[in-house]
Amino acid sequence: MRCPRCDEENVRVMTKSPVGDAWEVYVCDTCQYSWRSTEEIHVHDVFKLKAADIPKLQQIPPVPPLKTK
Amino acid sequence: MAKSYKDLREFLATLEAEGQLIRIKEEVSPEPDIGAAGRACANLEEKPAVLFEKVKGYKYSVVTNVHGSWANHALMLGMPKNSSIKEQFFELNRRWDKFPVPPVILPREQAKCKENTITENINLFDILPLYRINDQDGGFFISKASVVTGDPEEPENLDKLNVGTYRIQVKDVDRIGIQALPFHDIAIQLRKAEKVNEPLPIAIALGNSPLVTFMASTPVAYNQNEYEFVGALQDGVPTEIVKADTAEHLYVPAHAEVVLEGYVIPRVRTCEGPFGEFPGSYSGARLQCEIKITHITHRDNPIFENLYLGLPWTEIDYLMALNTSVPIYKQLKATIPEVQAVNAMYTHGIGEIISVKSRYGGFAKSAAFRLLCTPHGTAYAKIIILVDEFVDPFNLEQVMWALTTRVKPTKDVSIIQNCAGMPLDPSSYPAGMHDKLIIDATTPVPPEPNPRAVELLKPSPATPKWEAIIRNFMNQQAK
Repeated sequence: MRCPRCDEENVRVMTKSPVGDAWEVYVCDTCQYSWRSTEEIHVHDVFKLKAADIPKLQQIPPVPPLKTK
Repeated sequence: MAKSYKDLREFLATLEAEGQLIRIKEEVSPEPDIGAAGRACANLEEKPAVLFEKVKGYKYSVVTNVHGSWANHALMLGMPKNSSIKEQFFELNRRWDKFPVPPVILPREQAKCKENTITENINLFDILPLYRINDQDGGFFISKASVVTGDPEEPENLDKLNVGTYRIQVKDVDRIGIQALPFHDIAIQLRKAEKVNEPLPIAIALGNSPLVTFMASTPVAYNQNEYEFVGALQDGVPTEIVKADTAEHLYVPAHAEVVLEGYVIPRVRTCEGPFGEFPGSYSGARLQCEIKITHITHRDNPIFENLYLGLPWTEIDYLMALNTSVPIYKQLKATIPEVQAVNAMYTHGIGEIISVKSRYGGFAKSAAFRLLCTPHGTAYAKIIILVDEFVDPFNLEQVMWALTTRVKPTKDVSIIQNCAGMPLDPSSYPAGMHDKLIIDATTPVPPEPNPRAVELLKPSPATPKWEAIIRNFMNQQAK
């Protein structure tokens, strides 16, 4: 299965419904997008991501420098 | 003494008795039903809370729009549900001065949030009916949590215990992402922990008494304890808290529906978002912090309380309306006693209206400058409208009257360029920079000339009597 946001094949089942066999939730281990099997997913182009661009995203809050002893 | 609530359930019972909560007994789908209902509540005149008893595939119930109307907001304060916004503002102001009212620390066995404990095979979906709030959100978000953290350098200092609301994205069955913007209190604590590569212990309380949630989303000083404010806003009735199970220095609301405990993983950032945010637009994907959940406690049959955000106004606008206005009013009033009231309700204080009595020409404008020097106003306040002391800043018809009859644009409109701005405001560019607009809609006083001074229409002294008669009549009719 491909991720509907970053198109990587790095998707796994995160969990299944606690009651009955109602749905599964999937998560992409590349961009962390998650969705339910019962949803009609349509990620708008503006929110699509490329795996190579993820490390370039803004970091909030920035990781501070390690304190030296 | 005003009515207050020990927990969410007491408040829901009052909302239901007052006709401000509806129950959906039929099974609903997590998407799109719950988010859509949150939007629908905001669109309707009555704006009730909605409790979904059965959600497909889940064990427990969800409630949304608990704070999402002025009627619910008034009931939260133990006031009649038709109390005006101005009445609620001044009641909050009165109670604010009771700070601090120390909380009562309960033994573990008396805290309902400890009725059930989970330490193994943690799966958030077993306890919380999680759902996508808006369709382009990057996952399932927890939008109404009270997040508790301590200062790593002074964990025993309860004044520095922080209770705040931050958006949370579910990343896995036991991992969540959290948005800690650099100007948030939690970011101060996180920085201290990350500098020495230590995890930051965290407890996340869901489904709290309404004033706990209200205070968690109120901007107060770093060294002010939110629980002591809850007691103040409960008109002097202390709130009840209990020690977290996994951290000696963290205290959580004793009767929360669910408490998630764990730690912020140090020096890790992963992809978070997008998320439909309070300005009515999505904020994009960023690299943000992650939390590992190691321990859950919850009440029997826990209720998952979450809120909808969308194009204003929605529940979040009610939740952070007067709790933004009151602290700013207090700060302005301390140095400019002529300030009568502050309405900072528009998009979390990006738009603000100040009612002020002018002592001399140009005086009103100084209240705008003062606002721009407050911690919240410096970045958030962008459009500031000044009105006379007799104008109710919460009554937009009156504010529009002031704008239309008092403003001469060539002298009363000022723009200050290149100031701090709110990054989530999409008109801020670069994000975090903005201009400030001040509109002085007060009546000119000397030495400013007022060449066409007018006599204002005055209401008859019998008007308040007739307001009471008509209001009572309408209340009778509603029953």
